[in-house]
Amino acid sequence: MSSEQQMKNYLDALRLHLSHMNLNEREEILKEISAHIRDDAEMGTTMGTILERLGPPQELAAQYRDDLLISTASRSVSPLRLMRAALRLATRGVFGIFVFFVGVIGYAMGGGFVLSGMIKPIFPAHTGVWIQDGHLVASGTQFPGVIDPRAHEVLGMWYIPLLLTAGSLTLLLTTFLIRAALRTSQKWQMRLQQKGVANPGRQIESLIPRS
Amino acid sequence: MANTRMKIVESDSDRWEAQLRKGALEMAALASLWNGRLYGLEIIRFLETHSRLVLAEGTIYPILNRLKTDGLLTSEWVEAEAGHPRKYYSLTEAGRIRLREMARAWTSFSSGLSRLLEPLFKAEEIAK
Repeated sequence: MSSEQQMKNYLDALRLHLSHMNLNEREEILKEISAHIRDDAEMGTTMGTILERLGPPQELAAQYRDDLLISTASRSVSPLRLMRAALRLATRGVFGIFVFFVGVIGYAMGGGFVLSGMIKPIFPAHTGVWIQDGHLVASGTQFPGVIDPRAHEVLGMWYIPLLLTAGSLTLLLTTFLIRAALRTSQKWQMRLQQKGVANPGRQIESLIPRS
Repeated sequence: MANTRMKIVESDSDRWEAQLRKGALEMAALASLWNGRLYGLEIIRFLETHSRLVLAEGTIYPILNRLKTDGLLTSEWVEAEAGHPRKYYSLTEAGRIRLREMARAWTSFSSGLSRLLEPLFKAEEIAK
């Protein structure tokens, strides 16, 4: 295999393992690593040695992944990104598991509210909030015949803006909660690392690449 | 049996040493930039000549990336004669402050530990 081909294979593998990152970050990393390889090769190091010293592409990618996942997600609003970071956090402890569940419940509730508000115009007679003798008997979209004919629907078309608003607020709140939690966890980790200088055991723990 | 145990002890201490290096690497990377900007390979070569922190060279890049995210470093791409641009890193003011704190803590930590380990080395000398 020519050294040019070896380098291409390495970078391709690295790109593949970094595929979860956004395009800019990924291309920046690849550009930097390929500059490293070219510079080192110009100094006369053989391609095999250069790539061996860099370490396997999947390990290099894993070291980037954990650090960036949480820090970029804490500035993101994408539920996918946030939940992925929350899942990563969940593997690290009870706080993370709690954050993950708050995320699951929050997004499910918010999404459900918004969806229900959008279904109302499609099934206007079967979607709403029903009250009978002062008690709530049903809400949401119900199958025909499920609801006692004596119960009456109280919201009418107000159901739509109400549910859309409640849903959006729940989604927004969930997003902010997860972001705040991710940022808090970063602060903890940073503090751990600062303390880690006086207590290397702790620092080492937080720096071991988790693959 | 004893042989296996010996091997386990060896691999444990290898791992411990690798982790210790990795932990120190963050501070070392910041320290390498104290006198001005460098690009990745220069940082690696600098660390190689000034310390024995050699490890998988790739390790330095994710660390630089994180130090940048933390605001301790900035980076810029500079066109070089080599035909491809190089990514140069420099310390930010926050990076300088943090490095000073780290250096202070590290020095007091390592001198304390050296004192702690003194009897051990003395015992070894007597054994010889």
